Amino acid sequence: MELRDELPKDYLDRLGAVQPRDLPDELDLFDETTATRGMRLNKAAYSLKDEQQRELFRRDEEAWMNQFGLTDEEKDLTRRRDWIGLWRHGMSIYVMVKLSGVTETPLPEIGKQMRESGGANG
Amino acid sequence: MARVIGGIGASHAPSMEHIYDAGEEVRESDEWQPLFGPFKDVASWLEGLRPDRLVVIYNDHMDQFFLNAYPTFALGVADTYPVADEGFGARPFPPLPGDAKLGWHIARSLVADEFDITICQELEVDHGVISPLPMVDFSEGEGGWKIPIVPLAVNVILHPLPSPLRCWKLGQALRRAILSYDEDLSVVVVGTGGLSHQLTGPQFGRVTPDWDQEFMRLLAEDPESLTRYTYEELIKLGGTESVEVVNWLAMRGALPADARPLVQAYYAHRIMGYGLQTFEVAA
Repeated sequence: MELRDELPKDYLDRLGAVQPRDLPDELDLFDETTATRGMRLNKAAYSLKDEQQRELFRRDEEAWMNQFGLTDEEKDLTRRRDWIGLWRHGMSIYVMVKLSGVTETPLPEIGKQMRESGGANG
Repeated sequence: MARVIGGIGASHAPSMEHIYDAGEEVRESDEWQPLFGPFKDVASWLEGLRPDRLVVIYNDHMDQFFLNAYPTFALGVADTYPVADEGFGARPFPPLPGDAKLGWHIARSLVADEFDITICQELEVDHGVISPLPMVDFSEGEGGWKIPIVPLAVNVILHPLPSPLRCWKLGQALRRAILSYDEDLSVVVVGTGGLSHQLTGPQFGRVTPDWDQEFMRLLAEDPESLTRYTYEELIKLGGTESVEVVNWLAMRGALPADARPLVQAYYAHRIMGYGLQTFEVAA
């Protein structure tokens, strides 16, 4: 059997369309690359849904970070509230919002940093 | 048999919650009236329609589902849906009433239709549901929530996402599920999210009103044309986070072809293109 019989054009078209490949640097995706890179940071920030985790964060940020096996670099980005750096290391905007809450960072401040970022997180 | 008697497309956003919670005066201020005024029209329209149930097609924002196991489609089959704590403490709304029996029927029908959804007996709903819902179905004080819901969550966060065509077909399958339900219930289908917004990178805050209005026009006049857009195109047109518009497309797929737009409002403000569109269905 020829390969093309098992992999018809309509299938190949769908496979091609499922992964955007031609986005400019300033438009990012949360996909294999970012989700894999960001898993530790995302797990950490996701935990802040829980009031006990927020309380621990406020009381002892280092102890809070130590729960999630963050790398030294990820811890440093978190300490410095480096939103662009966190984003480039794969933190999703949806959990970043939870980290912005516990650190009392208004979204416009994150937006201001983002606009100065120059793009390219993927 | 159950019937689909209308549809609603509405943006969802934390900003809508902040303004709602700030009270009537802020909602009716010059700044926010263009958004909240039309919502009052939707509430009056719905009051006249008196649907028995709302099926709400939305997306979660990592408030119920997390990346350890992220469902592509997830359906609520519970009698009650608590409000999620999104990281700031949950908003002080009572849990939303559900309809487990209808939820289970929809689950069976979708699976029979080859939509293999994740079935959720417990589900906390976030601003994907409860940022627009109080504006159309909540009376403060005694009344609380009036209309039981069935929530249907679509993954628009972790690529690969189900295609716009797939979401349209999900809406069509949802329609069959409702029509085949053996109780005499009237259902309004709601799709939430979008329209244009970009929350990451140097284009943070980009809003594209021309595309948003074209999207609403196409949704009314030629919804199937929207199934031919790729996510790459949608992201370029409306921003990374604007892909939530496929929830509207699924809603439209659950309506008959001749459904007609009624309330239509659009307000580009700050970092969001806010859209609101209702569809009436001939009796």
